[in-house]
Amino acid sequence: MSLELKPKKWAGAIREVTLGAGSRRPVTVGGGNGLPLHTFEASFPHRPAFALEITDIAPPRWIDTVRQPWNGVLGQPAAAARRAVDEFGADLLMLHLVGTHPDRGNRSPEDAAADIRAVLDSVRVPLIVKGPGAGPKQNDVLARVAEECQGEGLALHSACQEEYKTLAAVAVAYGHVLVAESPIDMNIAKQLNILLADASMDLRRTLIDPLTGGLGYGLEYTYSVMERIRLAALGGDAMLNSPMICLVGEEAWKAKEVKASGGVHWEVATAFALIEAGAEVLVLRHPESLARLRKQVDCWFGGDTCR
Amino acid sequence: MPLTGLQVFKLLPNTNCRECGYPTCLAFAMKLAAGKESLDKCPYASPEACAALGAASAPPIRGVTVGRGPRAITVGEETVFFRHEKTFVRRPGLFRVLGTAADRDALLDAWRALRIERAGEVFQVDGVAIPESPGSPDAAAAASERGFPVALLAATPEGATAMAERIKDQRPLLVPPAGADLGAYASLAARLGVPLVVSGADLNALATAAMDATRAGVTDILLEPPGADLRGLHHSLSAIRRGALDRIHPGLGHPVFLRIAAGEFEKAVVGITKFASLLTIEDHGGETWLPLWTLRQNIYTDPQKPLQMQPGVYSIGEPDATSPLLITTNFSLTYFIVSTEVEATGLACHLAVVDAEGLSVLTAWSAGKFSGDRVAKSLRAMQATERVSHRIAIIPGYVSVISGELEDALGDGWRVLVGPQEASDLAPFFRDVWGAGDKPPNLP
Repeated sequence: MSLELKPKKWAGAIREVTLGAGSRRPVTVGGGNGLPLHTFEASFPHRPAFALEITDIAPPRWIDTVRQPWNGVLGQPAAAARRAVDEFGADLLMLHLVGTHPDRGNRSPEDAAADIRAVLDSVRVPLIVKGPGAGPKQNDVLARVAEECQGEGLALHSACQEEYKTLAAVAVAYGHVLVAESPIDMNIAKQLNILLADASMDLRRTLIDPLTGGLGYGLEYTYSVMERIRLAALGGDAMLNSPMICLVGEEAWKAKEVKASGGVHWEVATAFALIEAGAEVLVLRHPESLARLRKQVDCWFGGDTCR
Repeated sequence: MPLTGLQVFKLLPNTNCRECGYPTCLAFAMKLAAGKESLDKCPYASPEACAALGAASAPPIRGVTVGRGPRAITVGEETVFFRHEKTFVRRPGLFRVLGTAADRDALLDAWRALRIERAGEVFQVDGVAIPESPGSPDAAAAASERGFPVALLAATPEGATAMAERIKDQRPLLVPPAGADLGAYASLAARLGVPLVVSGADLNALATAAMDATRAGVTDILLEPPGADLRGLHHSLSAIRRGALDRIHPGLGHPVFLRIAAGEFEKAVVGITKFASLLTIEDHGGETWLPLWTLRQNIYTDPQKPLQMQPGVYSIGEPDATSPLLITTNFSLTYFIVSTEVEATGLACHLAVVDAEGLSVLTAWSAGKFSGDRVAKSLRAMQATERVSHRIAIIPGYVSVISGELEDALGDGWRVLVGPQEASDLAPFFRDVWGAGDKPPNLP
């Protein structure tokens, strides 16, 4: 009996989304027409992209293992950006404006805009900007940043079901990408994309953040909801076929286990499992995780056999 | 692949004799196809019909047991490609490779004693893999005596025989070198009645090798997938699972075996997420094993059931009668996040985990599982109220509405303090509301 495996064909494909414009070297993700990493039966014009996370102030909650590679530049976004790109080889950066949070320094939207400008002046990779989180400050900060960086194709992180109108408007007006965040819930992810489309967002400019659970802290929920979103997208659902972004670093390094055992393994396991589930943009904290994941992904999509 | 009602009908005598209790053979066939009746009820069923129905109802991936006694491990019997379709059922066995260390027995004793409890599961070394060496039959015996299921990583048929004979009653897994000629190993496995790993340069060769082993009399088989690199391996793993579920070739319906050499952490991640059932791992350290155990726990959790914590009062740090008493639900994810955040504040606390049927705080409250009455009853049942002298209970910010009801239900001078909505804001809460030190706050 001989063995015949038919390649699986799907009706839909993942949308292509380009991050970065203007003075940025753009990075495009998405476009795959099969299950994640199924390079044996589907085509993938772009490989997953890796961002490193930098912060506007010295990050209050990072443990020593993940601070160490950033010694001397923590809380200095421009210097950290250069290190992330020139030394560590990040495709993208995520600047987390943690210091704009009312409980963590309450820095102003103007301060945030100045930080972003400094980062844009020091590197040419596309930039993801994460605001302080829910609440009125989120919109104030991200709207100001969007205006300041008109035409640079930033990815604004993030809009949610309850609060998306302001950010959709500024993303459209100033030419940015919007990250649509849903709480590990496929229906809300879809609903939010419908709302954004109604608000004149071009869905070629949105990413889905399905909300990341780190290894041991809900990874399985994120993993399965992403698999389901991917299946729906491949089945032809045009409201769920945005590429997905996962904030891996901030979740993986929260685990209490990373203090006792090697944290890089923890971050790599979280990230790799999520790539298998369909993540296309992965935001990491440790450059060693980036290097290890990069090696695997380059092999995977590079064509040659490698070890 | 299950047969349809009409396919089953063609296997029946079509006499409509009614002896099965159904008016027609077709009606009986429909019930059979749905798995709601047994062919035993048809006295005239042919041997061919029995065989066809039996094969169709067999699981797509066979179960294989390695070892004997309480630590024996059964793998395989999976029925889905995606865990959300139903669940993955048999957690893969993680076997640790035993080198030729001088302190072999001490090492095995330490491995046997290793037990890590995490979210209701005990992590342990599931089995020991012994590479062939002059001392390997003794090592196999030493591991087996300690109750471990053993995988024998053979290099030669003679070495395999020496090891397998030594522990033949303990169902060791016989692992020939990848790509080796199967003949001698298959005869050995068949003669001793032990499970065997087969390999092949491509999927076709692998499936053929499995069929050959079956013909040689081996009952329990594991497949070692081909793959020059991670991408090739992932391809094989996906194709084997899909092929087994679609029953495209009987040689694919077996669990998968994978070797993880030192430093191949990413390969282990792919193996655990993508269908490997038994992995031999060369690295020994917790920095490798803890994430892999945890990943296996996550992937093999039944997605149909929320992960639950045992309700009760958990100590974070070393709390005393003046420490804060926090209340949350028994959804594991909630518990993990809250306990991690509390730990990060450095303040010792009592964390009362209330039975809310494994739902998160807001969901539990909407479903009526986190009402003031219910929480109060639960706190009394677990004697949480006796842990502290200050009579202040801190509830999650999302359920501030239950504070009045909870105060009434607790009575006896208890006050309820509304905490932050997100556990990540516990630090400022402790600082600004609870007070800087370990002392109870001065409340209005």
